[in-house]
Amino acid sequence: MTEAKEIFVRLDRCMACHSCEMACAVAHSAGQSLYTAISEKPTPKPRLYVEWVAPDRAVPIVCRHCEDAPCMHACIAGAISRSPAGVVETDADKCIGCWTCVMVCPYGVIGRHLEEHKAYRCDRCPDRETPACVNACPTRALIYQSATGYSRSQRQTASRAMLAGNGG
Amino acid sequence: MTQSKETTEKSLDPAIQQMIAKAGAQNITTIWDRYAAMTPQCGFGDTGLCCRHCLQGPCRIDPFGEGPKVGICGASADVMVARGLDRAIAAGTAAHSGHAKHLAHTLKKMAQGKAEAYSIKEPGKLRAVAARLGINTEGRQDQEITLDVANAALADFHEKDTPVLWAATVVNPERVKILSKLNLVPKGIDHEVSEIMHRTLYGVDADPVNLLLGGLRCGVADLAGCYMGTDLADILFGIPQPTFSAANLGTLKAGAVNIALHGHNPVLSEVLVSATRLKEEDAKKAGASGINLVGICCTGNEIMMRHGIPSCTHSVSQEMALVTGAVDAMVVDYQCIMPSVVNVAECVGTQIITTMDIAKISGATHVEFSEEAALTKAFEIIDLAIEQFKRRRHKPVEIPAIVTPVVAGFSVEAIVAALAKLDAEQPLRPLIDNIKSGNIRGVCLFAGCNNVKVPQDKNFLQMAKILLKENVLVLATGCGAGALMRHGFMNPANVEALCGDGLKAVLTAIGQANNLGGPLPPVLHMGSCVDNSRAVALTVAVAEYLGVDTQQLPVVASAAEAVSEKAVSIGVYAVAAGLPTHVGVMLPVLGSPLVTEILTDKVKDLTGGYFIVDLDPESAAEKLLAAIDERRRGLGLAC
Amino acid sequence: MAMEGKRYVIVGGSAAGMAAAETIRRLDPGGSVRVLSEEVDAPYFRPMIPFLVSGKKSPAEISLQGCGPYQAKGIEVLLENRAARIDTGCAQVVTERGESLAYDRLLLATGSRPHLPPGIGGVSSDGVFALRSLADARRTALRAKSTRQAVMLGGGLLNLKVAFALLECGIKVTLVVQSPEVLSQLMEPADAFLVRDALDQAGLKIITGRSARQILSNEDGVNGVVLDDGAELACRMVCIGKGVQPNADWIDPRQIPVNRGIVVDKYTRTAAENVYAAGDVAVTFEPITGAAIITGLWTNAVAMGRCAGANMADRPTAYGGTFGILNATQVARMPFVSMGIVHTAGTDYETHSRSSPGAHRKLVFSADGNRLLGALFVGDIARAGLYHTVIREQVRMDDIKKQVIDHRLHYGHLLCARRYS
Repeated sequence: MTEAKEIFVRLDRCMACHSCEMACAVAHSAGQSLYTAISEKPTPKPRLYVEWVAPDRAVPIVCRHCEDAPCMHACIAGAISRSPAGVVETDADKCIGCWTCVMVCPYGVIGRHLEEHKAYRCDRCPDRETPACVNACPTRALIYQSATGYSRSQRQTASRAMLAGNGG
Repeated sequence: MTQSKETTEKSLDPAIQQMIAKAGAQNITTIWDRYAAMTPQCGFGDTGLCCRHCLQGPCRIDPFGEGPKVGICGASADVMVARGLDRAIAAGTAAHSGHAKHLAHTLKKMAQGKAEAYSIKEPGKLRAVAARLGINTEGRQDQEITLDVANAALADFHEKDTPVLWAATVVNPERVKILSKLNLVPKGIDHEVSEIMHRTLYGVDADPVNLLLGGLRCGVADLAGCYMGTDLADILFGIPQPTFSAANLGTLKAGAVNIALHGHNPVLSEVLVSATRLKEEDAKKAGASGINLVGICCTGNEIMMRHGIPSCTHSVSQEMALVTGAVDAMVVDYQCIMPSVVNVAECVGTQIITTMDIAKISGATHVEFSEEAALTKAFEIIDLAIEQFKRRRHKPVEIPAIVTPVVAGFSVEAIVAALAKLDAEQPLRPLIDNIKSGNIRGVCLFAGCNNVKVPQDKNFLQMAKILLKENVLVLATGCGAGALMRHGFMNPANVEALCGDGLKAVLTAIGQANNLGGPLPPVLHMGSCVDNSRAVALTVAVAEYLGVDTQQLPVVASAAEAVSEKAVSIGVYAVAAGLPTHVGVMLPVLGSPLVTEILTDKVKDLTGGYFIVDLDPESAAEKLLAAIDERRRGLGLAC
Repeated sequence: MAMEGKRYVIVGGSAAGMAAAETIRRLDPGGSVRVLSEEVDAPYFRPMIPFLVSGKKSPAEISLQGCGPYQAKGIEVLLENRAARIDTGCAQVVTERGESLAYDRLLLATGSRPHLPPGIGGVSSDGVFALRSLADARRTALRAKSTRQAVMLGGGLLNLKVAFALLECGIKVTLVVQSPEVLSQLMEPADAFLVRDALDQAGLKIITGRSARQILSNEDGVNGVVLDDGAELACRMVCIGKGVQPNADWIDPRQIPVNRGIVVDKYTRTAAENVYAAGDVAVTFEPITGAAIITGLWTNAVAMGRCAGANMADRPTAYGGTFGILNATQVARMPFVSMGIVHTAGTDYETHSRSSPGAHRKLVFSADGNRLLGALFVGDIARAGLYHTVIREQVRMDDIKKQVIDHRLHYGHLLCARRYS
């Protein structure tokens, strides 16, 4: 089996344009189009959040689908489980809106749909080849790759920088 | 050759499809590549919820309600969207009226004897325009009148005691009353543009309704700019008359010096047309069969309708003309010239020649045009093209063998003249009788551009097909006209296939009365984008004839594939004139439900016009038909 | 060494027991896992039982195995099989049926049972419930069908949930709370106003500062409650929700030390060899102070059970303890999260309370103001998990205190703060 892909964030790339949030909300709307999503009820919600890290730096914060997912173990309704692809999923039908997952998520990335009284979170866009947020990022701050592939490309970038002369 | 689905999703024009494939094979980056690289586009901008009007910004309002609901200054989504729209209207107005101002200056220089390449081609129109403006024409020389008209035109730009004459005198009295009541009569064209910039500044107007009313007034100023542009161009270069021409890339000739005239203002292109006749020999000496002028975009419309010069392509596909490898020079003035033409030109060897001080492009050759030295400059430009031909002549070119016959040049004067053959006393009567009888169900004007977000020409073609079958008289300007002409909609031979029986009968009757040997073309070409004024003039004439207001007429408009802010301002003046106006791409207003509602509904209570935003051409056509029928019912006409 | 795998025996088939079983199954596929449960129902999500009373969920819908993280196969659950005693010398559990189950590793996860305060007469009448098991919920639901008025004794979370379940059944519900305000275990009275307003608006009748003296009954069971001020409330059902106590009575304290609950070390081991304990029955500790505590928290039971499972499968794993308070829920459309230290009356903790329309929060810091000790969010509970992390990890407040107080903290702040601490 091929290694599952994850969403990685290149911290130095984010321009805080919030395009990922917008694309995420649209990808999780009924109409699948910004023009219809904007007036949909219940309001489509983004599942990742662009926040600042340093005064001059912003970063999209996205569900890590933790290996030892606190939300999954804390859920009192059995609504959160891990898919074969490694995606931690919230089953909206089972969710009772007790917000225990919100209380234990160390990243603060579980949202509450107040109209529906359901928790929601990144599902890595199961129907898309690449998650909508990754596609939407104009600076490729979001990368969808396997952990191995990502660390390999990070190493290559670093070594290219060194070879370029500054680092050596 | 078979076209991939990928190509047909970009353009419905087979010539363009062929060139897209060629560009792909040669690794030439095109607008479709850049669009793909740009998608998905920023949703904040797309919905009008991004504001950069002050240095505290940029501000974004989250349409999904999770993030900020107001800007840093407190501006709501409604205010942000209304401000943004206003600035687009102002930009469009500035462009059309800039074009008109350029003509006014040319007219004035000509009258002062400083621009000898220009002359009064249409003294009749000069006097008609002067009379409309209240300028005395009795016993005066053309030159004197010209000076007064030019000065009146220039005076219309700044704020003065009288309203903008090119607005107040061009619509029916009832419309003037309505516009005056709403305070929508502009005080000066530049003044309105400037006032929009002021009121949309940080901390000025924060009432969305008030902002939109300001935008409407600026839109009326845009009508003035367009109308003035048409009037002055007709005076200087002649009133367009129906003329045979051709369209599409097949109008390029491998063996000739191909010069593509691209942009808008006939001030430049007219001189190049004259100069070309004098340079044929030079071209032949260089080994060419001659000089082949072709038009692109609205310059193409201007020279087609006055000289029958073919249009090579339009709008979104402007780069594709260069991809043929056969264009030796692309001569541009301003508006709608994609800077990317320079990059394509670099790949294929075309000379991109910019001519205007306000519109230079890095990498292009700049020949500063001046009306005073117009012919000299034109020769200089043609020489550059001939030089390029010499370098290009033995290299292979690929010109798609696609040419569509076109009958173009239906100015209001030409239409009235054609109708006069049916009823010399009351030329508009045959038209109106046919509207009353239902032979003509209504009138639709197609205007605007080709937008990369739409497969090129798709919206125009699908909508025009439906409307023609439903006996709607279709007029077209700008690149909307370009789209329809390239697909045979301006070829009289296609009336049989395209038009409903009623419309067919009318077009045939007029054609026969004018000894054209056949009907008028299915779609009447009215000119460039400033010439949307011609459509307004025709609407106003019909309204006056009937003694009703323009908002009662079964006349609608559509910018089915709009791109430019000019299309926004045109749409606004169409609405101000009382027309249901379709836009086939999304306006950046959805972020404000209030603004959206005003534009598509509430404004109807004020001007009678309103926007129909619908991205689906078939349902858009149905909506336009419904709007036509609603108005027919209003006039007591059968549907 | 025998070739067959380890024999794991788990006493108790709820959160701790099943989380341990799941963990063991994953870490030691060769071992056998047997779970003894006294209940008639297969393991289920216990906090969901109020939904059975309201009829919003069926027993099948709250079943535990196959849901959420509980996906393992090969866990043998022996139902209606109660352990009687442990023979640590022979490494055997003896059931009430007289069977002996030999173990290589034993987990005591017998949980807790409702605490019935002394001094209330008539608690054994028909129609008096202390909701704990699915079976209790079934009985409650049945009684609810013929009930028009119910009295709830106790203003804790469980009682509130059951109260709403009954309200949804169209029953008039009176909540009798001994404390000055509801939810006194989770928030101080001054912090409960939003929840109280929401409860009032939802139609729940609440009597505070009173307790029940006597439950009245006739041949049909309960027909009223007499309060300590003599007031009499007519009802056909009484629910007692006064907290829980560990089911540790069956343990022989000479073999395994018991201090209210079963005493374990940080690896969840009891004093007896190969015997572990986890969940409500075990004594755990508060991670910041290290104080021994007993809780009835599902989250603690799962976490501790998983930890015990790992230790039993020879993956030594220290348990990090739990806050005594770690609750999130939503009653009457009012969400709240309470965690860590939120009771500050008479303490010198630095406390910041803020209220806005529809939201109230209280952040409790150490006296020196450098560490967050507790947080209460009512109405707006966004990103509560970050505050949980901040409390747990004792993140220094240097750069993030303002964000914490303003409830504007996000993960980016935490990234920065961690770098400095």
